[in-house]
Amino acid sequence: MKPASWQRLRQITQVLALGLFIFLFIQSAYLGQSSLLSGVFYRLDPLVAVTAMLAGRLIIPALVLAIGTVIFTLVFGRIWCGWFCPLGTILEWTSLHKKKIAVRKSEPSSFWRKIKFLLLLVILVLAVLGNQTLLFLDPNTILTRTLAAAIWPELRYGTFSLENFLYQFKFLWPVLDAIHAGLIVPLFHNIQSVFIAALPIFIFFLGLIALNWSAERFWCCYLCPLGGLLGWLSRYSLLRREVHQPCKQCGLCNAQCPTGTIDPENGFRSDPAECVVCTNCVKSCNQGDVAFHWQLPHWKPVVKQSYDPSRREALVTMATAITGAALAGIEPIARRSPEHLIRPPGATLTDFESLCVRCGECVRVCPTQGLQPSLLEGGWQNIMTPHLVARLGYCVYNCTACIQSCPSGAIPKITLDEKHAAPMGLASINRDRCLPWAFNTSCVVCEEMCPMPDKAVVLVQGKGQGQGLGQTGNAELLKPHVIREKCIGCGVCEFHCPVGGEAAIQVYSLPGNKPPLSGI
Amino acid sequence: MSKKKPISRRDFIRWLGMAGAGVALTGCAKSDLPSPILTNSTQTSLPVISTSSPTQTIAPAGNTYLVVSRGESPAEITRRAVEALGGMHKFVKTGNDVIIKPNICTDYHTFEYAVTTNPEVVAELVRECLAAGARWVRVMDAPFGGTSESAYRKSGIADAVTAAGGQMEVMNPAKFTETPIPQGVDIKKWWVYQEVLNADVLINVPIAKHHNSAGLTLGCKNLMGTLQSRDLIHENLHQRIADITSLIRPDLTVVDAYRILTQNGPTGGNLNDVKLTKTIIASQDIVAADSYACTLFGKTADDIEYIKLASRMGIGTKDLSSIKIEELTV
Repeated sequence: MKPASWQRLRQITQVLALGLFIFLFIQSAYLGQSSLLSGVFYRLDPLVAVTAMLAGRLIIPALVLAIGTVIFTLVFGRIWCGWFCPLGTILEWTSLHKKKIAVRKSEPSSFWRKIKFLLLLVILVLAVLGNQTLLFLDPNTILTRTLAAAIWPELRYGTFSLENFLYQFKFLWPVLDAIHAGLIVPLFHNIQSVFIAALPIFIFFLGLIALNWSAERFWCCYLCPLGGLLGWLSRYSLLRREVHQPCKQCGLCNAQCPTGTIDPENGFRSDPAECVVCTNCVKSCNQGDVAFHWQLPHWKPVVKQSYDPSRREALVTMATAITGAALAGIEPIARRSPEHLIRPPGATLTDFESLCVRCGECVRVCPTQGLQPSLLEGGWQNIMTPHLVARLGYCVYNCTACIQSCPSGAIPKITLDEKHAAPMGLASINRDRCLPWAFNTSCVVCEEMCPMPDKAVVLVQGKGQGQGLGQTGNAELLKPHVIREKCIGCGVCEFHCPVGGEAAIQVYSLPGNKPPLSGI
Repeated sequence: MSKKKPISRRDFIRWLGMAGAGVALTGCAKSDLPSPILTNSTQTSLPVISTSSPTQTIAPAGNTYLVVSRGESPAEITRRAVEALGGMHKFVKTGNDVIIKPNICTDYHTFEYAVTTNPEVVAELVRECLAAGARWVRVMDAPFGGTSESAYRKSGIADAVTAAGGQMEVMNPAKFTETPIPQGVDIKKWWVYQEVLNADVLINVPIAKHHNSAGLTLGCKNLMGTLQSRDLIHENLHQRIADITSLIRPDLTVVDAYRILTQNGPTGGNLNDVKLTKTIIASQDIVAADSYACTLFGKTADDIEYIKLASRMGIGTKDLSSIKIEELTV
């Protein structure tokens, strides 16, 4: 194949991979019975696989597929980053200053490339200590989370707003109805969502794009921990870029390199750990002096680079990671669960916080969008883990969407019966706010909404007399009570409670099942 | 660095225009909450209604006013009930746009749990409407548990209706519009799904089931599925149900009492609470249909506040002794 064909093939692969990612994202919606295909990218992600298994201390069969990516990388180099990674593709497309030689000078020093290796080291050490806090920096989790909790809801809001506006004009209705039924319902399923963490998640994503001003694919070159892992593996790859003599030192390849790893001071050679196998350099070379070659049978690992972390740096970093893990251990959550930290169904059956890779797939599929990425609700260490905000959306009684979609098994693959037997929390009535209790006003919404076949909210004849609001004459008021043994904490009562602001019935965390300061 | 040009006037205006368009777009968003209804005091006593004349669109005396049809096949007893009322062509004319409103309240259970309307009953009505010449027949509800799509599917209604040639519609949030309720006692306006008001024919197909706050959920209560901000209806449930019924006025009410839920309604989930009564009640008068349905639970219309109120407002009659009832067994 000609160099240009390789380039074209790479671009097509990138489009297909990003397209597949977005397609899987869109189709992973809860429709009652459909099986969910989402999570394919997580199964191929070796960083997620390694940390989830280390932190969770078990073999997760669903994630074993990531070995494929490792083998691919050992053969072809950092091809994941250059050809497949959806976030990498977006960052490549949003890099404004391609093909300008002068820009290279404004890039940060190569010295900073070590950050991604050190970040990887921190993540691995933390994983050994049972902590996956920093997995929110995995590129796949970043993209899923940003799409799920910011970009997709924004698109949906914008679409619905425009639709609302246009529906004021009655003559447009036939056209709008056709668009609504044919396009908008299949895409958005009429789910309207709000997200507490939308703004920080979106700003973080914009920040990654903004870094492209400093250097093309800045995130991929300097920060990405998955890039660090794959780059480190690429040092041993079988296919590597080579420069043949006589090279004319024209610098064209350097100008085309998206990761800036081609070093004019070193005969325009490059570091396989940084090279994403985009083949731009092969195309740019007029002489045909640049090519990718198999290293067999004379294979040997690549020489070290000046920006590789030194032993001392590595040791300091590991010590820092251990300090961080210790810090996590003295957060309040280590002693008591926050009152409203309701985890997804079944999460009480696993070591949820150690297994959760912060990907946001459950947030995406939750049909009520009550599952939200945390900010600090679960402490700093649990940032971006999912929790149920029942006032914004409840857990649907017969829904297993999050159970099906969780790639790491943090939400275990339980059956519906097991889900109904595993409470997420416990509802509790605030008698100072509840309409019948506090205001002698009849209201039984919580009892009505309770999905348990044998209701967990029961109505007991109260002593107060009905004053208005539909209560006629001297009928006695019915007052709700929660039966603790029956409540599974789904939060539908809290969601529908008609009092303003904070609900008069709320779901509270279950007593923690971890002993305090359990340690490593 | 110093070579960078300052922003040109053209660019400045272009950006200003784009920002202005963005701000203007925010005006497109509709506010979600019904503002005028949120008061802390609600009307407690019913005013005497003198102005609203009983606008009953009721068949002339002598004709069958209400049909009670019993038998083994849900579809067959539905067919016979409509036939006894004069046939579907009495309600549906050629080219009509028909909406059928069953009760699909949650996606928790299949129809055997008597929480959602029997799919065979709905499908039979779809077939009859099409046979009577309807242009299209849409079926819809707004579940409070799960999503519309999942509830439509779980209830079995989606499959049955599609097979019968009807169309399931997911209610479009953009089409709930604040609508005046001229006869309303407690509420004078509410957010109502406009298609339900615009359709040529509206057929109301509730399932008869137990309901703790409403007593029983029947025809009038089923109309709540066409409203937005339903939690606020509960503030004065019975009067507001009656008020809504005065606005929506289905052309035909078919109460599905093939299976009824006697306990733990409206969400159910326990087959022991389900009673097989194998009955269909049909009438043009929603109040009369509801009134009769009460008897299946060993109650009368006087036990259910919203039926009493609706009858008092002149929406229909709860008095079963004054109307012609045809009972048939298939």
